[in-house]
Amino acid sequence: MTAASASQGRRRAAHDRAASPRRAPHARPAGRTKQHLKTALGLFFTAVMLFPVYWMINVSLTKDTDMRADPPRLLPLDGTLEGYRAVIEQQMPYLGTSLIVGLGTVALTLVLSAPAGFALAKLRPKGGGALSFVLLIAQMIPGIIMAMGFYAIYLRLGVLNTVPGLILADSTIAVPFGVLIFTAFMSGIPDELINAALIDGATRWRTFVSVILPVSRNAIVTVSLFAFLWAWSDFVFASTLDGGGDAQPITLGIYQYIGNNNQQWNAIMATAVVASIPATLLLIIAQRYVAAGVTAGAVKD
Amino acid sequence: MTTLRLRVAAAFAITACLVAGCSSSSDSGDTGGEAGGTYTIWDPYPQFDGSSDWVKLLTRCGTDAGVTVERTGYDTTDLTSKALLAAQQGNSPDVLIVDNPVVSTLADAGVLTTTDELKVDTSAIEPNLLAAGQIGGEAYGIPIGANTLALYYNKAVLDKAGVDPAAIKDWAALTAALEKVKASGKKGITFSAIGTEEGSFQFLPWFWGSGANLTQLDSAQGIAALELWNGWVKSGYAPNSVLNNTQTTSWQEFATGDFAFSENGTWQLANAKKTGFEYGIIPIPSQAGGTAPAPTGGEFVTAPVQAETGRYAVTEKLIGCLTSADNAYTTDTTLSYIAATEAVQQKQVAANEELKVWVDAVKAAKGRTSDDLGTKYPKISQPMWTAFQTALSGSASPADALKTAQTTAAAATK
Amino acid sequence: MAHDVMTRVPASAPADVGARSPRRRKGRHWTAWAFLAPVVVYLVAFYAYPLYRNLDLSLRHYTVRSFVQGDAPFSGLDNYRTVFADPTFGPALLHTLVFTFVSIAFQFAIGLALAVFFAQNFRLSATLRALFLVPWLLPLIVSASTWTWMLNSDSGIVNTALELIHVDPVNWLTSPDWALTSVIIANIWIGIPFNLVVLYSGLQAIPADVYEAAAIDGATGWQRFWRITFPLLRPVSAITLLLGLVYTLKVFDIIWIMTKGGPADASTTFATWSYRLSFGNLLPEFGPGAAVGNLLIIMALFFGLLYIRFQRRQA
Repeated sequence: MTAASASQGRRRAAHDRAASPRRAPHARPAGRTKQHLKTALGLFFTAVMLFPVYWMINVSLTKDTDMRADPPRLLPLDGTLEGYRAVIEQQMPYLGTSLIVGLGTVALTLVLSAPAGFALAKLRPKGGGALSFVLLIAQMIPGIIMAMGFYAIYLRLGVLNTVPGLILADSTIAVPFGVLIFTAFMSGIPDELINAALIDGATRWRTFVSVILPVSRNAIVTVSLFAFLWAWSDFVFASTLDGGGDAQPITLGIYQYIGNNNQQWNAIMATAVVASIPATLLLIIAQRYVAAGVTAGAVKD
Repeated sequence: MTTLRLRVAAAFAITACLVAGCSSSSDSGDTGGEAGGTYTIWDPYPQFDGSSDWVKLLTRCGTDAGVTVERTGYDTTDLTSKALLAAQQGNSPDVLIVDNPVVSTLADAGVLTTTDELKVDTSAIEPNLLAAGQIGGEAYGIPIGANTLALYYNKAVLDKAGVDPAAIKDWAALTAALEKVKASGKKGITFSAIGTEEGSFQFLPWFWGSGANLTQLDSAQGIAALELWNGWVKSGYAPNSVLNNTQTTSWQEFATGDFAFSENGTWQLANAKKTGFEYGIIPIPSQAGGTAPAPTGGEFVTAPVQAETGRYAVTEKLIGCLTSADNAYTTDTTLSYIAATEAVQQKQVAANEELKVWVDAVKAAKGRTSDDLGTKYPKISQPMWTAFQTALSGSASPADALKTAQTTAAAATK
Repeated sequence: MAHDVMTRVPASAPADVGARSPRRRKGRHWTAWAFLAPVVVYLVAFYAYPLYRNLDLSLRHYTVRSFVQGDAPFSGLDNYRTVFADPTFGPALLHTLVFTFVSIAFQFAIGLALAVFFAQNFRLSATLRALFLVPWLLPLIVSASTWTWMLNSDSGIVNTALELIHVDPVNWLTSPDWALTSVIIANIWIGIPFNLVVLYSGLQAIPADVYEAAAIDGATGWQRFWRITFPLLRPVSAITLLLGLVYTLKVFDIIWIMTKGGPADASTTFATWSYRLSFGNLLPEFGPGAAVGNLLIIMALFFGLLYIRFQRRQA
């Protein structure tokens, strides 16, 4: 936010927010009808947006013989739970792996990006700007190119088809993003806080761990959420680097239903439905923190 | 370059330590050649997990040979590049099971051993099936089984339209039947004309059935084949969705019970019983009459080249076990394939009379890479699928589309 | 979110933390790099090598044989020449640009409209906003296949709906005139949540008293949007657009699953073309595939630099 007006506006926003934290900028006294109208409109938009998701659920419940019925069935009235039966029986280990991979990616991303963000935001070394630009560019490398390069390295090191290997690969999606986010959030922390700690004789590492990290809770939640979501839905790395072996994530579990000649679509869709439930819950829970985190990051003195 | 690689590897190792802990040693990819030891097998059957008959068979074959088998199932479309990358890194599996048109590509890359080197007996294998894995007189693998294409039909739909499926012996009769079906208010035929190898696989019975040859895509016969498909789509005998249909999608369309015919493979037999309507199967007719040669599908068991040739002895035992009559029978039943040897084929027909038509179809079938096309085939197949996509989507006439395809293919295979 | 990041890092003035003396500054410098060391090692290990390999692949003449044996002769820019001379090049470039810019324009416009809408707190607004993110959670193979399902020429729900209102059915995925449009629609759908999240957080940062002042001045809702919201949101918008661009240029899975880049080349972009060359064929052509991939990176770099320039001008 280099525009003076914007940064000034922000500063004021901070005060405003302190006074009434849950207040939305556009909120104005409005009639009850207007409120209802907005809710109705919101419901409508959401319904349109989620129609493909509904269709996915519909297909997951459809019998093989009705999949291409013309005209298509709007409701799976004469449906089947075959897909779900297959998923419940077979997919749970994959869900477990996805969970481990997701959490592992979150941990690795945090460990790598938080100190880097602190250094870039508060210690400002020579060459920091260049590093930030490299991080920006790093996000531009297509995943498939990364995956091909990784394959050769992983083969040599024997981490192909292992969970740590996949965590490492998945983290490459999130680490540049994480560093940039942490940099932004941590530059918002007042210098006085750090100086006080330094004067008290704390090392920079100690300052980072016991002063910076605790006040960066929002940034940690934001980065964690994105790292988790990317790892959860990653397919390119998983299929290239973890195509074999015992521990495969849910995006590959779907391949149980994609044979070399045949695909079981109701089971594929059912897998997606089942797989998205834990992630959706996580999202709804984290939603509050994320909104708060993002705002806090944008608002700084 | 080597130093860079080393440095990169070192950097990698350090970072890996952060995650995995330095004490944990690598537990995969090590194909050290100590006796006993671990032998790796890659297959394109990700749908089978540890509890399946297939994986149990692999484990048993390993136990019989006195080794541990480490099996990995990859998605079939990924397996070629993965096998190449692994070979480049000197880390090929001991046994590799791949789709038959890929065999020539891998053989050309020097990745595979010949069956002579490995001392595997191929004498019992049907020659037309083995041919898909032969280049320059050498065989590079053994078919684990085979599948091919034929026409499934819906009895009720044909009865209603007054069509006798047994009378469909040539293209004209088929098109006439489709016309009657359409007139009776039902849908004609569905197939897969998708822009991938799958589409080429489905186009070939018609292409070959016209008498055309892959070395000349824009011959009069080739154009006639494409015009046949094009005419069906334009007249509404086949749905427009064929352009984007995989073979599964096209099967789903047939399974609705609205379609008279579906060009599909051996592997749908199990699903056909689940449709709830009476069905039958006829061979794909050729233009002039008689059965058209359909392409063979199915995988080959191959043995990639190893630095330690001492491993071949065990590999040979593994392959012998996988392709032995009893095991092949089990495997082909699981995969819904037709066996590659006469003896097992007879056993299959004895157990299930319905397979007779498929055994005949497989006998008439032809490998895509046969006729010594080898690695030229992929370079012809891609222009070919581009041609039928172009023609069916109405961007060019069949003749023009095939002419362009021939130019591209000729340049690529020169 | 990300907006602050890019804007701040290159452009900010060093607000020094405990750097009063040269010695301390030097010490701080080293400490800083100690903090950064893991990330630097990480970048070198995981980005440098894939990039180097991709460059190497694109500069040698690889056949399947030489790919395996590792003795491919250096061929300079031959692969790039092959790619430029390929009849697919022109259409692929055009489709890449159309796909990227149309996708971004709609994602951004719809995302912004929704962000403004959801910023007015009403009943259920937080929950509905959370639900908007659900498409993000689905594996792409599933969401793209669902679109394929809905857009099917014969049994798709979209054509059935069109029939109800007496509009001729459209061959969404199988007509060369519509295939690109169809994949763009699906991509816009997938991109809306990202834009909504970033822009919503940007809106949250705009102080309410600015609006209150405007309300006193008697500005209408529309005026408020153009005079206040939009200008104040400009930096956030810039980074949203840049990230959207980077992510959209890379998209290949949606297109690959929906149309395979077809019919013929009607929806082929650089990303799908690169994938088809390297993986979508029985006979992989790694050299040209890598060359196309590198062209994509160059395009992304170009827009990245453009963004930095825009940033400088803003400052």
